[in-house]
Amino acid sequence: MPSSRAGIIGYGSSAYHKAAERTEQSYMVMAAKAALASAGLTKSDIDGIVVSSTTLPPDNAVTLAEYLGISITWASVSNAGGAGALVNVADAIAAVEAGRATHVLCLAGAAQDVNFFKDRINRFTSAVSDYLAPHGFGGMNGLFGMVQRKHMQVYGTTRAQLGRIAVDQRANARLNPAALLRGPMTIDDYLNAAPIAEPLHLFDCVMPCSGAEAILVGPLDRVPEGVGVAVKAFAERHNHPVGEVTPLRGGWELFRDTFWDSAGFGPNDTDFVQAYDDYPIMVAIQLEDMGFCPKGEIGRFLERMSLRHDGDLPLNTGGGQLSCGQTGGGGGMIGITEAVRQLRGEGGDRQVQNAERGTVIGYGMVSYGHGLSASALALEVAQ
Amino acid sequence: MTSAKPHGPGVRRTPTNASMLDAWKEGRLLIQHCADCGSTFFYPRSACPSCWSENIVARADDGSGEIVSFSLVHKGLPDIFLPDAPIVLAEIRLDSGALLIARVATGRQRDVAIGDRLALVDAQSAPDFALPTFRREIER
Repeated sequence: MPSSRAGIIGYGSSAYHKAAERTEQSYMVMAAKAALASAGLTKSDIDGIVVSSTTLPPDNAVTLAEYLGISITWASVSNAGGAGALVNVADAIAAVEAGRATHVLCLAGAAQDVNFFKDRINRFTSAVSDYLAPHGFGGMNGLFGMVQRKHMQVYGTTRAQLGRIAVDQRANARLNPAALLRGPMTIDDYLNAAPIAEPLHLFDCVMPCSGAEAILVGPLDRVPEGVGVAVKAFAERHNHPVGEVTPLRGGWELFRDTFWDSAGFGPNDTDFVQAYDDYPIMVAIQLEDMGFCPKGEIGRFLERMSLRHDGDLPLNTGGGQLSCGQTGGGGGMIGITEAVRQLRGEGGDRQVQNAERGTVIGYGMVSYGHGLSASALALEVAQ
Repeated sequence: MTSAKPHGPGVRRTPTNASMLDAWKEGRLLIQHCADCGSTFFYPRSACPSCWSENIVARADDGSGEIVSFSLVHKGLPDIFLPDAPIVLAEIRLDSGALLIARVATGRQRDVAIGDRLALVDAQSAPDFALPTFRREIER
């Protein structure tokens, strides 16, 4: 999949709101305008759309073309939940290289609030609807509480260790004017927060919110220097491991080695990581499976690392979903837009110094007990 | 112990799960086994996820098993479940081999631990729960 011809040439984020002040399509327009502006392109340049959203149906990429008033030669949708936006970008690059489109607008987002999400979560998949919701399962929180408790039991991981993720991401968010949650957070604040689905407490859980993210894919040789970001590696894996209910691992462990080989860099020389942070425990599992530390050793790893934008391993440098809010499918794209922002040197107060290579990790499509989809993107400033 | 009242989120009845749902109304647990490869699985499927055989047998299971992991769920519950909060949502390994997620009904949530032995709730309270629900053996 690595490509020197097509890459990421634009990115944009809408405003985020705790409750929907616009429709989902309207948030996507805001993000799309920002992405076009960042690429120096106009609406008429777009001839492909791919979208990642669980709340958009019955609308899709084609109805978005209608809404946006553009005629397109390629349209696609994701089916990988929060891992899907990474798949979208890889598919868009493939579409451009196959000649099926020239400039593809990748969109993801939602118009929702906490109460909307609480109701919707009971119908997330057939298995959730039929075999989890009738138990009053507490949504994703109930499931990931089981995952975290198992990790704590098997590997001795502690809440204080995992708290590093939430606390350092909040420090990053405090430098991001767009983050919805910017109040100071200490490790004591994290540990003493209200219980939600123990061992999960309030600051372990993302806040569903409204907004959208956009990425523009197109030929790298048509944009000015410093604007393009090359995709060095991409991988996806779905439904691994087969038949487990709350596994402590995911598809990343299967593609990690070939992924890093393809990227040309590894966990020790990525300048930052944007991981899918629906919960700190899932960030922890992604870091383990991607090889940042051996399986089960994330607790000690987190004890010795700063994850701030200027730390040892800059993680979710804009604050991530945990501090920005989760815009549905947009939660899978916020890491890509933030990675591109950083690689273009446009990170403002939270800019990672000399950022040239970045890693984005995707996760999602929660069904009977855990997220089924894993993905990853390796990005590098285009030469 | 309090119990959930009916009329929470319901289970869609399908040809695949109808026998399991009907048995549960009488407090009996049916777990699917593949008659060809011997796999045991949950949730109900029309074909074995191991070998795709459609030669599936629903076997009576006494519900003996243990807690693999669990959450104490305080928030995000439909209103009908709030009087029972925090509810215990558990990954359960049945002695027969199946892995499933189900509720463990208890009023002593703070005593619950990984490894706790489980049994089905009493048959007379089964209709209060939309899906097979367990209790800790120690509370018998």
